[in-house]
Amino acid sequence: MLRSAVALVRFRGLLATLTVRELKARYRGSVLGFLWSLANPLLLLGVYTFVFGLVFRPRTAGAEPYALFLITGLFPWIWVSSAILEGSMSFITNSGLVRKAVFPLELLPSVAVLSNLVHFLLALPILALALAVGRALGHPLGGWTALLLPLVVAIQIPMLAGVVLGLAALNVHFKDVRDIVANLLTFLFFLAPILYPLEAIPFRPLWWLVRLNPFTPFTLAYQQTLFYGVVPDPELWLQMVLVALVAWALGTWLFDRLRETLVEAV
Amino acid sequence: MSGRGGGTGTEGALPAIQVEGLSKLYRRMAAGAKLRTLKSALMDRSLTRGLAASEAIAALEQVSFEVPRGEAFGVIGGNGSGKSTLLKILAGILQPSEGRVVVDGRVAALIELGAGFHPEISGRENVYINGAVLGLGRREVDRRLDSIIAFSGLEDFIDEPVKNYSSGMYVRLGFAVAVHTDPDVLLVDEVLAVGDEAFAHKCLRRIEEMLAAGRTILFVSHSLDLVESLCDRVLWLEGGRQRMVGEPRRVVDAYRQAVAEEEGRAHRAEKEAREALEATRERPPGHGASGQAAGGPGAAGASVEGEGGDDGERGERRWGSREAEITGVRLLAGGAGAAGGGEERYHLASGEPAVFELAVRARRPLADFVFGIQISTPRGIECWGTNTLLEGLEPERFTGEARVRVVCPRLRLAPGEYVLDVAVHGRDGAPYDYRRGVVDFTVTSRERGIGVYFPEHRWEFEGAVEWRPEGAGAKVVPDRIAHSKEPR
Repeated sequence: MLRSAVALVRFRGLLATLTVRELKARYRGSVLGFLWSLANPLLLLGVYTFVFGLVFRPRTAGAEPYALFLITGLFPWIWVSSAILEGSMSFITNSGLVRKAVFPLELLPSVAVLSNLVHFLLALPILALALAVGRALGHPLGGWTALLLPLVVAIQIPMLAGVVLGLAALNVHFKDVRDIVANLLTFLFFLAPILYPLEAIPFRPLWWLVRLNPFTPFTLAYQQTLFYGVVPDPELWLQMVLVALVAWALGTWLFDRLRETLVEAV
Repeated sequence: MSGRGGGTGTEGALPAIQVEGLSKLYRRMAAGAKLRTLKSALMDRSLTRGLAASEAIAALEQVSFEVPRGEAFGVIGGNGSGKSTLLKILAGILQPSEGRVVVDGRVAALIELGAGFHPEISGRENVYINGAVLGLGRREVDRRLDSIIAFSGLEDFIDEPVKNYSSGMYVRLGFAVAVHTDPDVLLVDEVLAVGDEAFAHKCLRRIEEMLAAGRTILFVSHSLDLVESLCDRVLWLEGGRQRMVGEPRRVVDAYRQAVAEEEGRAHRAEKEAREALEATRERPPGHGASGQAAGGPGAAGASVEGEGGDDGERGERRWGSREAEITGVRLLAGGAGAAGGGEERYHLASGEPAVFELAVRARRPLADFVFGIQISTPRGIECWGTNTLLEGLEPERFTGEARVRVVCPRLRLAPGEYVLDVAVHGRDGAPYDYRRGVVDFTVTSRERGIGVYFPEHRWEFEGAVEWRPEGAGAKVVPDRIAHSKEPR
C-alpha cells in the first residue's frame, strides 16, 4: 500500500496534468465551460429550496432549514458518487493509455477523485452563500468551524482513492462491478444521514446500520463543520481516519494483486 | 542460440536488451473462464496459470536474444507472430509469463499511434501529457517544446484539438515527443508507415542520429526493405517462435522465401478446391453434355449464361460452347525440359523456367481449333498473350484427350501477382471453352524494378562514373536467376 502512495506522490506532476486534461476535456467545446460546475449545484439548491422550503416544508427537528441541511450533505455525496462511478471505470475508459504507455497505473483512478473534487470545490461558494443567507435569516448556521473542512476533505481523498483503485482493478476482470457499484451507491446514499438527520431514525437497528455505513462519518463531519457549526468530536475524526486507512489498504491490496494482469485484461 | 553477435558486443558493456527464454501466454476469451481468471489473477497474479492448456494461447514461446548497445535491431514476421507482444513486454507494459527480460536505460516506446493522446484537447497540451507519460517534467517539456513542434511540422495545427488530426499528424506528433525524451532504448512499432515520405525520411535521419549517439533501437516492421537497410541484425518471429536471428539480408531473404512458399501452397489448395468443386458439379449434367453439344448454338448460348453466372463468384469466369473443354490447368516451374519436368507450384522466381500446361478434351472431333493463353495482372493489364493461330499453327484434327504445353525456358516477369487466362476456340474466335483467371501465380525476385517485364540486362559505364563497392562483397543471387546486373 505504500508503493502506490509513493507512486502517487512521485508522479504528482503527471497526476496534476492528467487531472487538468480531464477537466479541460470535460468542458472543451461548451460555451459556458467550467461555469457548468457552478450551474449544477445552483440548480439543485433552487429546486430543493422550492420543493422543501415552499411545498413540503418537512418539520424535522435539527434539520432546519431542510433545503440547506440537504445540500450540505448532498454536495460532498455528489463528489463521492461521481468519483467512484468514474474512477471505477478509469482503466477501461483510458484503455488507450493502459495498453500503450508506460506509467504508474494507480494514477488513473485518482484522477477521477481529484477532478470531481474540483467540481465539489467549485460548488462550495454556492453552499457558503446559501448558508450565509440562512444565517442572515436568523438560523444558527455554520461559523468558523468551516475552516476544518479542508481536513475532512484531506481524509476523504485517500479513502476515495483507495476504494476507486480497488474497484477499477476489479472492474477490468469482472465487468459486473460497474452495475454492482452503481446500485450499491444508491443504497448507501439512502443509508447515509443525508436526507435525514441521524437522530430522526426511530428504529435502533436501522440507526446502527446507518452509523456503520463507511460514508456516514464523513457526512456527519460535513454537516457539523458547515451546517451546525460544531467541531466534530475526536471519536468522529478517528472513525474517518480508520475508514480511510482501511479503504486505502484494501484498495491497494486488490490493485497490487491484479496489477500484472490488468493490461492484458483491459 | 541467438545467432552471432549475441553477447559479444562491446567489451564489458552490458547489452541494452537481454531476453532469455521469454514466453507469453494469453487466455482465450471463453465466457466460462471469466471468474476463474479473476480468481487466478487474485491468487497467483497470472491470468493463465489457472487455465487448462486449451484455454491459453502462446503469443511468444522461448524467445531469447540480446541487443548490444548502439545496435538497430529489427523484428519481422507475419501478423500474429508475436512482434507487438514482444515490444510491449520490452516496454514494460505487459509482464512475461516465463523467462527473463532486462532492458537497460530509459525506454521510450512508440507502440501505437498517439498512445495517450486525448482527442478533445490541443496538440500542444497533449505534448505535455505525452511527455509526462514518457517521464518528462513540465519544465523539461517547456525546454523542448519548440523543437518538438518543429520536428512534427505541425506549427499551424498545434493548438487544434487532436481529434481533428489525421492519422499521419498523430504519428508525427507522437514520434516527435518520443525522440525528444532522449531515450537510451527506442522501441518503434510500425508507425513510420503512416507518415508521408518526407516525414519518414526525417524519422529515419533522426533514428540514424540516435544510433550514432550510441542509442539502441528496436524496430518492428513489415517493410522488409527498410528493415534490411536500417538494421544491424534481424529477428524473425513466426507463430511466437523465433525462426531466425542474424544478419538482415540472410534473415529477410529466408523470410521472403517462406512467404512465397506459403502463398504457393495457398494457391495450390485453392486450385484443388476449385477442381474438386468442378468435378462434383460436372457429374450430374455429364450425360446431357454431349447432347447439349449436339443441340446446336441455342443450347450452347444457354450454357454461356449459366456458367458465367456462378463462376464469377470465385474469381474465374468461363464461357463457351464446350465442344472442346479445358479440364485442367497447371503451372509447372523449375524444370526446363519440353516434357515439363518442373514441379507444380504457383510461386516462381523471375527468370525461372515455367510451363503452362492445359489438359483438354474434344467432345467431338474438331478440325477448327486454336489454343491460347494470356497473362495479365489482377488489375487487368495484359502482359503477354499468344495462341496457336498467331504463331502460325494450322489446325487439322483434334480428338479425345490431349495435353497442351506452353514452355517458357525463362519467364521474365517482374515480381508481382499474375492471373492466367486460357482458351480453346475456333479460328473465327467462337469460344469452345474460355476460362479467365483460371490460375493465379506470384513472381518474386531479389532485384527491383517497375513494370511487368524483367529483361536480362546489365549496366555499363564509360568515363568517370564510380560506384562504392558493395559492403558485404559477395552478393547472394539464387542460382536459378541468371541475371547479370552488375552494380545496384
